[in-house]
Amino acid sequence: MGRMFKVMRLNRLLPSVLVLFVLSLVPLQVYALTVSEMTKQFICQCGCTAVLDNCTHAECSIRDEMTNLVRQRVEQGKTEAEIVSFFVGRYGEKVLASPPKKGFNLTVWITPFAAILAGAAIIYIVIKKWVRRGRAVEMTTSDADSTEHDEEYEIRLEKELKDFESRGFR
Amino acid sequence: MQDVGYIPLFLALVVSVYSAFTYFYGGEKGNGVLLESARNSLIASCVLISLAAGALYYSLITNDFQNEYVASYTSRDLSLVYRLSAFWAGNDGSLLFWGWLLSILAVIMVLQKRDIGRELVPYSAGVVMCTLAFFLIISLFIANPFQRLSFVPPDGQGLNPLLENEGMFFHPPLLLAGYVGFTIPFAFAMSALLTRRLGDEWLVVIRRWTLIAWLLLAVGNLFGAWWAYVELGWGGYWAWDPVENASFLPWLVGTAFLHSIMMQRRRGILKIWNMVLIIITFNLAILGTFLVRSSVLASVHTFAESPALGVAFLAFIGISLFGSVALLYYRSDELHSEAEMESMVSRESTFLLNNLLLVGAAFSILLGTFFPIISEAVRGVKTSVGPPFFNQVNGPIFLAIILLSGICTLIGWKRASVKNLVRNFLWPTVAAVILAIILVVLGINNVAAIVGFVVCAFVLFTILSEGIRGTIARRRMRPQNYLSAFAGLILANRPRYGGYMVHIGVLLFAMGVIGSSVFNIEAEASIKPGESMSIGRYVLTYEKMDNFETQSKTTVSATLSVSNSGERLGRLVAEKYFHRNHQNPVTEVAIKSTLIEDLYVILVGWDQDGTTAFKVLINPLVSWLWIGGVVLVVGALVAFWPERRRRQERTARDGEDV
Repeated sequence: MGRMFKVMRLNRLLPSVLVLFVLSLVPLQVYALTVSEMTKQFICQCGCTAVLDNCTHAECSIRDEMTNLVRQRVEQGKTEAEIVSFFVGRYGEKVLASPPKKGFNLTVWITPFAAILAGAAIIYIVIKKWVRRGRAVEMTTSDADSTEHDEEYEIRLEKELKDFESRGFR
Repeated sequence: MQDVGYIPLFLALVVSVYSAFTYFYGGEKGNGVLLESARNSLIASCVLISLAAGALYYSLITNDFQNEYVASYTSRDLSLVYRLSAFWAGNDGSLLFWGWLLSILAVIMVLQKRDIGRELVPYSAGVVMCTLAFFLIISLFIANPFQRLSFVPPDGQGLNPLLENEGMFFHPPLLLAGYVGFTIPFAFAMSALLTRRLGDEWLVVIRRWTLIAWLLLAVGNLFGAWWAYVELGWGGYWAWDPVENASFLPWLVGTAFLHSIMMQRRRGILKIWNMVLIIITFNLAILGTFLVRSSVLASVHTFAESPALGVAFLAFIGISLFGSVALLYYRSDELHSEAEMESMVSRESTFLLNNLLLVGAAFSILLGTFFPIISEAVRGVKTSVGPPFFNQVNGPIFLAIILLSGICTLIGWKRASVKNLVRNFLWPTVAAVILAIILVVLGINNVAAIVGFVVCAFVLFTILSEGIRGTIARRRMRPQNYLSAFAGLILANRPRYGGYMVHIGVLLFAMGVIGSSVFNIEAEASIKPGESMSIGRYVLTYEKMDNFETQSKTTVSATLSVSNSGERLGRLVAEKYFHRNHQNPVTEVAIKSTLIEDLYVILVGWDQDGTTAFKVLINPLVSWLWIGGVVLVVGALVAFWPERRRRQERTARDGEDV
């Protein structure tokens, strides 16, 4: 039963981590469009590379021009998508604060997670190998599922601390 | 003064090349006389560079404006403190500072008393001297801070006014010291590979070196974040700018390294992986030094320098990467691990996963930082990769790292027994669930924020419960009160409990990040004196605008009185500085900070008729960033503190036992 529990725990952990990753790929919902919400999505085109909403450079004259363009369109009741496509049309894709999730740009969004998943797979295989090697040793040692009482915890702690004194850090 | 700077620098290059060569040759031959000579020349190079640095300091202090560097970064009205800080305000000076720091660390490294790892010193000193020689070549031939102008300007151009802030006095040198510091662990790793002394020895030697480099980098970045927050005036502390990313990368991989060396020391595994991590960390540190100076990636931080500098840095990174990886490949047969484990669920597996996630986070940041170049090369289309990308990709990765660090605390080495797991997880989980319910009852409906807070709280509770259990256990073993039991526990294993404190610092920081990025609100208003604006529960009444003239600048300041839910809180003064030597005004924000939130007022502009535009932000939990930072520093210092006294005690006690 003990081992089953352990397997279950791992199985339960992995999907939740996966879900966390996938969630990050879903764009956040925008409820009420404000100028600030839109200017957070664009990069100031003066060359300062700051997000338009955060650009405080006095020398960026284009910042006010861009902000006014956003303001006009928000006041005209344009949707987020309309404003975005207007800006992309005017300044090119580089005006977007992050690359749109399509085409070649998907590589930058997906590769980190793909790499981490690949790494996790490698770790899984490696640990499995180590566990198989360890099982052979385990036969001779004590029961894996023994409960650790307070006294045992104390003894383990003392042992670990002693161990530290003689072997240095951990 | 030119020659007083230039000649010692040139001699230092000659001496450091000699020292590197002699260290390698003497180490190979085991020739004590040669090694002695190498060591003396290492010390001599430090003295020579210090002379050059002293010459630059002298020029800065005495307003020697014929020195081009001094003329570019200082002026007569600059206070002494900022004149000194101009040493690292520009490209040439900061590179000399890099070399100077490295030479000082090299001296400490060779003079350190060691019980273990003595045989590693010659080769590692050789590697350090090669690195130093590279930086001296740069300082001499590409970015020389001792260039003379053909005339003597009456005054210098002055320091960039944005850099006139206490944070700027600390941020660059600490960051640079962090970068420089990673040279030493890298050098010892290379030495271990060269000498085939591939056991734990080199890890013992470099642990504290790595920790201090890591800490300096962390503090440097914290100062940078603080500076951005109070000085840049956009209400944020981290913009995911390429140069910020570049300083975050070695820190992340260094964090992974600090954790994975524990695995090698305890379990004899991950030997190759540790080598890979320190190689990556060092090269990322060099990359970070380089990115600030390159025009490869557009950034607000860059110095914009000659292409020769970029070529030199890329060549150095290329050589060091290729050389170290090749060396690692040739030694890989001797680096096999003796791993065996008893369960899939153990502290080892959480360590491995966390290592993966830390490196994965670094990889995603590196990829995002360079993606504009990749995109332009592949599609011919310019893109920008900014905060939305980094937050969305790294948010979940960092949350997973935090969660795993908590789980890791609760799982024992080798294997975890079920009852143990249930028992250890019970209270932290219950506490986290209660917190989740409270958050929902309080009306917080942002799922990501709730998940973030709950994960942080869960991990915080696991660390606290570990501390409490340890204290109780220790008190039961020895007759003492809880306080001294707790202190005894921490002192008995400073690296372990210092590490936990660092984790607490990171958690507090993470909560600050979540709070300030999810729940911040902002308002903009154009009002006349006497009029008010409101944001959240705050009402700000614009009282007056003033003008001050000083020798160097004109200050325009707007005074507002602030009340929260009807209760008067006092006045805030938001300002703009117009420096004589600089075209653009600098915004000085006004901040009213509490543990719950910061009220952040930016003076945007004004009209002739007195109408003044303000941008006001409420940034929740920002104070916790700085509190978390302080806890992190204290924890790291606890872990760093030397063990000498204890070792003596132990020898004494062992003697009694015998």
